[in-house]
Amino acid sequence: MKVVGASFSHLGLGNSDKSSSSVNLPSTSNSIKSSKPKIKPIGRNSSFKIESPSSTPRHSDQYTDLDDDWDADVGQGLSSTESQPKFLQSKPSRSFDYPSLSKSNHKRSESGVKKHVDGIIKDPANSLYTLYGPNITQEDKSIKEIEELNAIVSKFNRFKAIIQDQNINLVSLRKMAWNGIPSELRPISWQLLLGYLPTNSDRRVTQLSKKRQEYLGGISQVFNDNKEPATWHQIEIDIPRTNPHIKLYNYECTQRSLERILYLWAVRHPASGYVQGINDLATPFFQTFLSSYVESDIDIETFDPKVLPKQVLDAVEADTFWCLTKLLDGIQDNYIHAQPGIIRQVNTLKDLINRIDSSLYTHLENESIEFIQFSFRWMNCLLMREISVKNTIRMWDTYLSETNGFSEFHIYVCAAFLVKWSDELKAMDFQEIMMFLQNPPTKTWTEKDIELLLSEAFIWQSLYKNASAHLRA
Amino acid sequence: MAENDDYTYDYEYLFKIVLIGDSGVGKSNLLSRFTRNEFNLESRSTIGVEFATRTVEIDGKRVKAQIWDTAGQERYRAITSAYYRGAVGALLVYDISKSESYENVSKWLKELKENADENIVIELVGNKSDLDHLRAVPTDEAKQFSVENQLLFTEASALNAENVDLSFQQLLKSIHDMVSKHQFDMTDYSGPKPSGGPTISLTPTPGNEQSKNKSNCC
Ligand SMILES: Nc1nc2c(ncn2[C@@H]2O[C@H](COP(=O)(O)OP(=O)(O)O)[C@@H](O)[C@H]2O)c(=O)[nH]1
Ligand SMILES: [Mg+2]
Repeated sequence: MKVVGASFSHLGLGNSDKSSSSVNLPSTSNSIKSSKPKIKPIGRNSSFKIESPSSTPRHSDQYTDLDDDWDADVGQGLSSTESQPKFLQSKPSRSFDYPSLSKSNHKRSESGVKKHVDGIIKDPANSLYTLYGPNITQEDKSIKEIEELNAIVSKFNRFKAIIQDQNINLVSLRKMAWNGIPSELRPISWQLLLGYLPTNSDRRVTQLSKKRQEYLGGISQVFNDNKEPATWHQIEIDIPRTNPHIKLYNYECTQRSLERILYLWAVRHPASGYVQGINDLATPFFQTFLSSYVESDIDIETFDPKVLPKQVLDAVEADTFWCLTKLLDGIQDNYIHAQPGIIRQVNTLKDLINRIDSSLYTHLENESIEFIQFSFRWMNCLLMREISVKNTIRMWDTYLSETNGFSEFHIYVCAAFLVKWSDELKAMDFQEIMMFLQNPPTKTWTEKDIELLLSEAFIWQSLYKNASAHLRA
Repeated sequence: MAENDDYTYDYEYLFKIVLIGDSGVGKSNLLSRFTRNEFNLESRSTIGVEFATRTVEIDGKRVKAQIWDTAGQERYRAITSAYYRGAVGALLVYDISKSESYENVSKWLKELKENADENIVIELVGNKSDLDHLRAVPTDEAKQFSVENQLLFTEASALNAENVDLSFQQLLKSIHDMVSKHQFDMTDYSGPKPSGGPTISLTPTPGNEQSKNKSNCC
């Protein structure tokens, strides 16, 4: 079933969001080429302008000649919010274009580490003041590409407007995040959605510093005691087997961080302890939070975190730990004895497939395929063995926006995932099905594939959620 | 993979085998070496159970090994032990450089006793024989243990491929011998009998008759 073009207006899935800002297109792509590799927002009469989101009127007329006016804009932005960390009150040391669409006009450090990490450590919202737009490279773009690009810019602005509020409206953030969070704003958004970062900006600095200290205290405590040998051994042999195909995870520095995170979590959660697969679940957080401190044109998957100051690494590690903890709190049953959460999810999936695609269901049954044989891993690792980390990260934007994203919505995603191959599977026998589902052809998947999967899952959920809930009861 | 068309099979026996042993001893790499001739120093850990097959010739008969590779971690035992049922053979793997993985062998044997068929043929495999300089388990000791417990025994290396084929072949041959002597309970067998002789069609769980359906599909 294809659902391209289906309308999910209540979620803003469609592109009919009337309140969104828009960028008028120049009449020819030529004029883009000549206007340097950036979209330069100038006056309202220009053929090429940015209107800021209606929710932040204070910005709407400030984008003229931004090369000069940037500092003024920061000043305005600051004065409208009561409590700003000290760090922000000094001018940024470099000038920026808004939105910054080019690498070439962007001075950056050799190491790729951002200049203002101190401020970001204190409160990730501080990164907003050094983020002027999504990182986009703009070379010869067609009208259509410019349109897409403008959509990205306006989405970015809408997110920024929500996150800049002194009291962040989580409902709005959730609604927006469902459709994907701009990568630059993802670290802070995830922390907000998980309830790790307080929505009230007054509380953030103290809360974060408390949590980081708590983490460091926990680490020094559990690593002073004798290590629990079975747990430690399992973590030690799984660390080199964690995303081994991604360079970031081959670096010593990354491996030691993950090791500490997993071991502390295991010791603190004796009912489950460390279970293989939890290592995978830590990585989207680690990679996302790391990206806060690194210039956005750097590919985080090849970045060696050892160049970061220790306090940055400590913060990334602590934030990863706490957010992983929050995620796992919601799916504890997956990892305790006999893994009842997974068994329940597998049964729900089976039940769903029976309703959604009964001919596939019958075929699987005829071939003696049991759902647990192929979907156990889907539940245990949240499809992370089937889908790249980058795509998983996009998927989690949506999961974090759903009420029970990881324990319930995920089952609908698995259903959409299975049904996607229905035709192929129905032509296969037992062995072929097992081999296919063990290694599904998702290597070339992009965000588009993920978004299609998510919207299909959304449909299944709205159709069957209550039905399967009553079945489980 | 399309090994069967509707009426003929390219194998005469289908043997279900399980791969068990502590996490990290090299089960998944032994399997990939045997079925695809691949070794991966940085493979990911096995979650739950993974499946692969290879057809080999044993005493002039084509035998298809359907191998279920299991996760070694304790937490997965409840899930993985369900796969022991119906298996006619087990490769119990330890790491010759890790004495603990060898000490756990008796624990794994107990697991098999509790969950697998009585007549299951078991082979003890000391993997990572390439790490002789780090050896923690003497060959003689493991050999002696195998004799006492009526296990087949080999040392192998998934890394350099030494004895990998041999260890699987040895297990399959021993199962084949038992089948020829009708030492398996034939009532569990089902499925088509191509080109004569008993076909052992062992299914992932008891009660399922997977091969029977092959002739029905398409
Ligand atoms: N030196 C050596 N390393 C091996 C051998 N077999 C596996 N390994 C390594 O041991 C680790 C665990 O292997 P894996 O097959 O995942 O073990 P499993 O948990 O038992 O499935 C991996 O890093 C492998 O590369 C071997 O024969 N020799
Ligand atoms: Mg394995």
